Amino acid sequence: MIPRITRILSLTALTVTATSLYAEQLDVEKDTLKFGFIKLTDCAPIVIAKEMGYFEEEGLQVEVTAQPNWKQLLDNVINGELDGAHMLSGQPIAATIGFGTKAHIVTAYTLDLNGNAITVSNDIWKQMQENDPALDTETPEHPITADSLKPIVQAAKDEGKRLPMGMVFPVSTHNYEIRYWLAAAGINPGMYTSTDIKGFTGGDIELSTTPPPQMPATLESGKNVAYCVGEPWNQQAVAKGIGVPVVTNYDIWKNNPEKVFGVTKKWADENPNTHIAVVKALIRAGKWLDETDADGNLVNREEACRILSQKNYVGADYDVLKASMTGYFYFQKSDKREMPDFNVFFKYHSTYPWYSDGVWFLTQMRRWGQITEPKPAEWYAETAKEVYLPKVYLAAAKHLLQEGYIEESDIPWDTDGYKAPTDEFIDGITYDGKDPIGYLNSHTIGNKDEI
Amino acid sequence: MAEKTADAIKYKILRFLDVTGFTVFDPIVRLAFREEPKKQLESIFKFLIIPIMFICFCVWVWWTVAPNHKTKSGEVPTPDVVMQSARINHTFSEREKTKETDFLLVGEERLAALAAVEAEMESKSVILAELEARLAQHESNYAQVLEARLAPLQKELDEVKAKYDAIEAEKKVLITEAAAAIEAGTGTTEALLAAIRAEGIAKDESRAAESIIKDKIDAIRSDKYKPLETARLDVNAVADQIQFLKKRVDFLSQSNRSMKVLEAEETLMEYQAKLAKATTAKAALSEAKRVVRAEDSIERLEKQQYASAMTVYLQVKRSIFTVFVGFVVAAIIAIPVGILCGLSRIAMACLTPIISIFKPVSPVVWLLIFQIVVGAFFPDPESHPFFLFFNSLPFIGNLGINPALIFSGCTVAMCAVWPALVNTALGVASIDKDHINVARVLRLNFWERLTKIIIPSAMPLIFAGLRISLGVGWMVLIAAEALSSSDGLGKFVWDEYQNGSSFSFANIIYACFVVGIIGFCLDRMMIVLQRFVSFDESGTSL
Repeated sequence: MIPRITRILSLTALTVTATSLYAEQLDVEKDTLKFGFIKLTDCAPIVIAKEMGYFEEEGLQVEVTAQPNWKQLLDNVINGELDGAHMLSGQPIAATIGFGTKAHIVTAYTLDLNGNAITVSNDIWKQMQENDPALDTETPEHPITADSLKPIVQAAKDEGKRLPMGMVFPVSTHNYEIRYWLAAAGINPGMYTSTDIKGFTGGDIELSTTPPPQMPATLESGKNVAYCVGEPWNQQAVAKGIGVPVVTNYDIWKNNPEKVFGVTKKWADENPNTHIAVVKALIRAGKWLDETDADGNLVNREEACRILSQKNYVGADYDVLKASMTGYFYFQKSDKREMPDFNVFFKYHSTYPWYSDGVWFLTQMRRWGQITEPKPAEWYAETAKEVYLPKVYLAAAKHLLQEGYIEESDIPWDTDGYKAPTDEFIDGITYDGKDPIGYLNSHTIGNKDEI
Repeated sequence: MAEKTADAIKYKILRFLDVTGFTVFDPIVRLAFREEPKKQLESIFKFLIIPIMFICFCVWVWWTVAPNHKTKSGEVPTPDVVMQSARINHTFSEREKTKETDFLLVGEERLAALAAVEAEMESKSVILAELEARLAQHESNYAQVLEARLAPLQKELDEVKAKYDAIEAEKKVLITEAAAAIEAGTGTTEALLAAIRAEGIAKDESRAAESIIKDKIDAIRSDKYKPLETARLDVNAVADQIQFLKKRVDFLSQSNRSMKVLEAEETLMEYQAKLAKATTAKAALSEAKRVVRAEDSIERLEKQQYASAMTVYLQVKRSIFTVFVGFVVAAIIAIPVGILCGLSRIAMACLTPIISIFKPVSPVVWLLIFQIVVGAFFPDPESHPFFLFFNSLPFIGNLGINPALIFSGCTVAMCAVWPALVNTALGVASIDKDHINVARVLRLNFWERLTKIIIPSAMPLIFAGLRISLGVGWMVLIAAEALSSSDGLGKFVWDEYQNGSSFSFANIIYACFVVGIIGFCLDRMMIVLQRFVSFDESGTSL
């Protein structure tokens, strides 16, 4: 007995924190899990929760595997091959309402904010500069609107061509963002109808799906003249000198929700404690990623980039990942700007599953015709409530607060799930999650519904 | 006597080379046994030296041509870069192994390893600091060099801009003058139009002139500054090592299995003590529950294994396993059906349309069909008895058999079935009539005829078909794995393509060699089998 105790004593230094944890460990229903992700920097919370051992401290053995595309990722979650996954915000919503694959998917955790950009080819950039001489400097003023793109689109249309552009998935944030950006300048990006599931109807341009890693190649080959995608694929275009990111989604909608952690409703119902334990680990990972020193510098991002650059995770070069993850963004090789909020993993109560985010995606689906019928405002609220599970999030946060990992102010404890109305969009239109119909009707291009 | 044994050995070796299809090494063996040295030397030169030189020449061409072909994803990797990527993949798998041993280390060994790793980490941090300082130095140097190179161009650009601005201003004045002239009634509309045209031309000229200089600036900016690149790579290499060491420290301390068990035992003791002291029913119940849970968690921890990341070697193993799954299924279907077709012209007539239509279908199509059709059998793959059974078997259990593997295997089977089937049918149909007549004379029944006459005489062709099948299967597998994201070489290639890192291209070429070499070995294996079953001792085509 004595030697064992001395052994324990000699190790306590290393295990002080861990010991206290054991008392709090949840009674998980399933302890070996498999999560999927797409090779993008915003899968970071899942990877970090694994690599920093946060999952393990919750008693979970987690395997994370890269998925080839968003469709397969969703299919694997639905068929049970994966327990949960890094998903586009629109995916759980679209699956739940039955646009594309139908399955009830829920989310209790928003992985990040922002993180996308729209890149145009060098040729288009030159033409944009000609149309707007103010852009013809090394460091043009931001945000850049699509106004200088409009004459180019028009000229192509006069020749009977529609400029091809790329986005990653029909229900991706990228699709809605590039549409928003174009529509804000009066370019019609095309509508989905019950017979046109590609979304080309009436468009001035042709916006089609391309998997993220192929984006730079399509820009180079001229298959696309512009695209909207997450990192590292915009910085890759800068590094290879084939395109110029003109606008980030931070400028299109400041602090917009990006990816979520999605599971099936069935899984969430069968494994309530496991779900809470997973969200606990993710919250800790998010907090770690956004930790700053006294001067407000992000302290853990370089280490995060090192981990993400491993080939079983994102696998891109460390320097390319670092370009956007550490608070900077290269718009051109000579134009490096500070963008401290380009990736937000925890700040601004970002990880909370906001109903208002869900409603915004629903309004975009309606605006562009993915939802073919007009719906009443209550439907938007109800659908968001079916998909977003703040209860699970708050349960996890409560545990973490007791364990001392987070602070009271980190979590919006008493919110009704709706963010305050905001007009921080590129076109300055106000969005209020409680008035989806009014928001729909405030746009010039897109479906409008009668109140 | 001695000569005879030597001869016996020689012929054994020659026979071995013959069976394995390495007859090209014959002359070396014969030379070693001093059989007609001159003739042997000549054939060594002709069939060994010249081909080797040719291969060297090909490598040389690769080495010289590759760097000159600049792609947007970087230069085409030269053989040494590919070798380096092979080494990186090897390091990755070595590191996974080290982590696994660390995870399982106990007692003194663990402490010793921990101390060693910590010491190494310290020395590496010193090196890293040095390298980082050097990198910073190079960066500032580069900034200066860039500045120096860009300054004249920038100046030139400004000058050009100023010059054309002046010209444009001049043209603008002319336009206003022409317009004013019209107002005054002295000018003509043609003059005004001409002035506007002239302004347009001037604008185009200025754009052209500016873009030439801008292109030059861009070219300088994208020029690689070698010392900076190498310094950055050095820093990254050491930083990577430190990251790995950090992880090792974690696996040697907090995340070590024995440590976790110890910790859990400690908690258990705590709970047991509390349970002993419990006075109320409620407290006793809650403590007892905790004790049970703690005991369960200890049991679980004791059995815990390290969750290794997929390494290229594991992927190779899994690919080979998958190809054999598909191949065996293909053989089981192809041989009986092929025999049936060979025996009965009606069966042949029935199957010919099916074979001819489905044979040319692409593996990609089959994969998608199998994903939907076979996928329906496994609604909940995690707890499906089929997978639970296979994953509990020794040797193949650690390959992680999942639906994706089954889909890839089915695709391989679907594409590999045709050559074996067609060859078997051909082999059976073309049996010597004499053999059949003998069977008739001997009044053999059907079963005897099948096992004694038909199968043996069709064997060489059956195996020739199987050999083609395995080759086709291996080729198809890579595509199927890439598409179904079943871990294996196909996924390795696809992941690399998606990674888009500076080593991705080299890794893809590395995978190309790995696939080729394994394909070659599989083919040789089939040749050997084929030689064993052919009674006519005829050679096989290579």
